[in-house]
Amino acid sequence: MDNSICQVYEDEIQSLEEEIKLLAEKYEDTQQESTFFSDEELLMSIKSFQREFQGDPKRHESPSDLKTQLESLERDLSFLMKFTGIQFTSHSKKTVEKTGNRTLQKHRLSGNCHSLSFQLEFQLLEVQNKENVSAVITGLSIIMESGEDSDVSKFVSRTEEHGNLLTFFRSLSTYAEWCEHRRCTFLHFK
Amino acid sequence: GVFAHLETLEAQAHEAAMEEEETEQQEEKMARLKARVRELRLRRDKLQAKVDLRQKGLGKEGGMLDPAEPSARAVLEWKIRSLKAMLQVFYLTGISGKLTRRGVCFCLSTAYEGIYLDSYYLDLLTKPEVRIHRHSVPIFIPLEHIAKQYLQTDIRRFLAVLSDHLNAYTGRRYQAEQLQEHFSDQIEGTLQSNSLCNLLVFKYNVSSKSNTFPFSVRLLYSDLCCSLPTEVTVSC
Repeated sequence: MDNSICQVYEDEIQSLEEEIKLLAEKYEDTQQESTFFSDEELLMSIKSFQREFQGDPKRHESPSDLKTQLESLERDLSFLMKFTGIQFTSHSKKTVEKTGNRTLQKHRLSGNCHSLSFQLEFQLLEVQNKENVSAVITGLSIIMESGEDSDVSKFVSRTEEHGNLLTFFRSLSTYAEWCEHRRCTFLHFK
Repeated sequence: GVFAHLETLEAQAHEAAMEEEETEQQEEKMARLKARVRELRLRRDKLQAKVDLRQKGLGKEGGMLDPAEPSARAVLEWKIRSLKAMLQVFYLTGISGKLTRRGVCFCLSTAYEGIYLDSYYLDLLTKPEVRIHRHSVPIFIPLEHIAKQYLQTDIRRFLAVLSDHLNAYTGRRYQAEQLQEHFSDQIEGTLQSNSLCNLLVFKYNVSSKSNTFPFSVRLLYSDLCCSLPTEVTVSC
């Protein structure tokens, strides 16, 4: 009799612990998604963080670790933007649903590829499997600046229909590069 | 007589003491578990309230902070998380990567109609000239041929062509897997294909009224950058 009551308590403890874990993650996500710090605030934080650390050497993650990590990520990002020609000017994501191993996020992205600017919205569903994470795009919506061009608008609506985000970027990249070549060639004749 | 009686009494007292200890232990355990449940419930309710408050406060983008000033560390960690999220977006575009000590390690991702499939790595060295150090591209993709054509002269073109091959391959493979999975009752046996998945052979049955007609199909994809067949042969 006593054992079964203990078991009930133990089960409740386990389910509460899981619930707390999910809630903590949810809180962190909403914190991340709803805050924004400007570059000056960032610079000030780096300086003050280094000053703080000087007085307390017991901290396990030194500011140089965080700063190094920050700089390495910024370098990688800046390289990718320069290399691919795709510059993202803004990105926001919001967690719509998070249960067990499924996460559904809504993304808003805007940027340009050479001279072509775009604005995107899509939902990304990620499911954690045993070996990897599967990702599926739904609800893709694309707005392009040069949307009046019939070829571009046909391409955009076909891409939206099939959720082909990857194809959109690959084709955008190639198309933008050719536009650049064409522009340079015409300049040559001026 | 008396001795045996005393022994029995001693044994009984001992057993009674043991039982009492056991009950005490059980009660302690129960009390501990009860307290833990109370503690966790409290923590859960507090967190839930925090989350609900945040959800309500979210109407406009950006600017909603905790009443307490965020610490410098929190700001840095926020920025690091934002940058990581941005790098993840590059993964969705098909070409992402990171700088290494001696060059760049590119990650080419593939997708078919919004479903992301395998991704492949290409570790490049840049000095004295661009060359491939390591990669995870399958052997049946003509990597060396493509590298010979473009790697030294136009690295963007090299990655674009390689990406086309990889996307077409995983697209064909995915379609074959889906066909096998969703039409297994009509397909006889299993789909036969080569590693490159550009040659597919299978038999399927079409039933009408009381008859079943067996068909043999051969799909050939001679354009390796395409996930649609160039030649279809159906025989009865």
